[in-house]
Amino acid sequence: MSLAERMLSIDRRIIFLMIGLCTLIPLLYPVGLAIKVSPEVKSVYDYIESLPAGSVFLLSLDFDPASKPELYPQAVALMRHAFKKNLRVIGMTLWLPGTGMANEVVSRIAREEGKVAGKDYVFLGWSPGGGSVIINMGQDLYKAFPTDYNNQPTRDLAVLNGVQSLRDVNYVVSLAAGTTGIETWYVFGKDKYKFELGGGCTGVIAPGLYPLLRSGQINGLIGGLRGAAEYEVLIGKKGKAVAGMDAQSATHFAIILLVILCNVFYFSIRTSGKTAGQH
Amino acid sequence: MTFLRRQLPLLITFVTGILFAAQYYVPHPLSEQMLTSVSKWLQIIGGFALVLGVTSLFHIHAVKIRRREPGWGYSFVLYAGMVGTIVIGLWHGGKETTDGVTTAFGWIYSFMMVPLQGTMFAILAFFIASAAYRSFRARSREAAVLLIAAVIVMLGRVPLGEHLIPVSGDITQWILNVLNASVRRAILIGISLGAVALSLKIIFGVERAYLGGGKE
Repeated sequence: MSLAERMLSIDRRIIFLMIGLCTLIPLLYPVGLAIKVSPEVKSVYDYIESLPAGSVFLLSLDFDPASKPELYPQAVALMRHAFKKNLRVIGMTLWLPGTGMANEVVSRIAREEGKVAGKDYVFLGWSPGGGSVIINMGQDLYKAFPTDYNNQPTRDLAVLNGVQSLRDVNYVVSLAAGTTGIETWYVFGKDKYKFELGGGCTGVIAPGLYPLLRSGQINGLIGGLRGAAEYEVLIGKKGKAVAGMDAQSATHFAIILLVILCNVFYFSIRTSGKTAGQH
Repeated sequence: MTFLRRQLPLLITFVTGILFAAQYYVPHPLSEQMLTSVSKWLQIIGGFALVLGVTSLFHIHAVKIRRREPGWGYSFVLYAGMVGTIVIGLWHGGKETTDGVTTAFGWIYSFMMVPLQGTMFAILAFFIASAAYRSFRARSREAAVLLIAAVIVMLGRVPLGEHLIPVSGDITQWILNVLNASVRRAILIGISLGAVALSLKIIFGVERAYLGGGKE
């Protein structure tokens, strides 16, 4: 067996170790390279920045704990920005397994920013139905969610004064890990109830959402941990996403190196095979 | 019986399909009131679907345990996990915290479900790296193009890549915004036309697979 063949059949645990170290070392010893902000992330930031105080901002945390590393920092950054701008924040989720996590992030950031439940923000929780929940909210928010997550009647909440349906919401951002998510909010929500819609998503589904971005169906897109890091840079409060970018840099480079090596060995075997054939 | 099993569902599908396709274009208060009511029904049906799903899962794994099929131990773990979580969840009214104190249900969620799901997703990085090393080869021109595009996007999406090759960020943006978006759009249009065609076939009773294949 040649060196190239031996290298191609290397024990996968060596690759696992390499990726593990590339993740761990930058987290322990961060470099802190500059992060360039992309136009799609800046669009979400600019839209929230343009909203006057008291505007209604709905954040739908449509993900489960599996996508926490990418989408939780996005939620934190967006919540901080919205509270800094004194927007009225409505939190909710269309993903049942994410309810506890969504409630935790909304109430924790609100507490840290000195906001009061029911007055400055509300967490509506989860309701079954996916797209039909959005239609129901578009028709009558109080029929879709008669009470909030803490069983308080939504009609009595000061934060929802003047809000009857999704038509009264100024900006909706869906942080999605798949379906139900951004596309659902567009198809069943924005298209009919005419609110502005932005999106945040995991890195793996981001390329699939670019057609919506290019056509203006969503006004901005925060993609993956990178997008969260860009948003943290924009609001001037660096958090877990910025901290994770060095690790992501290192792992991306490790995978690129592995792909190059794999192709070098592959072509080396192919060339030596052809040469042997000629003899 | 044929009327109840075949013709009535087809009639309901036809009437509601036509009615709600038309409803979208009729902003009359009566039409909007109808949509409000029906969207509430859909939410209720969604709740029942959840109950149906859980019941089905219980049934499948109960059969596996009873017959001692291979891997029945995992079914037992699933049973124990589900029953335990449901009982504790009901006991605490589905709340993770009460007066700021974490309940047992909240503990299960925060210290079992969240890390377990996070771990499952995190190990993907290791398997993707291993799979990339073993199979991401430029065997053909198409594979070479895919490989080059992937390397550029991977470079352009991280600060180190943009630091070493400043133009990689702009090329990545172009790949995502132009090449990727146009191809995705073409796929989306295809899927949407297929969905419209299938919807029409269901509404007009041409496609009847959703009724089930039982005997008349």
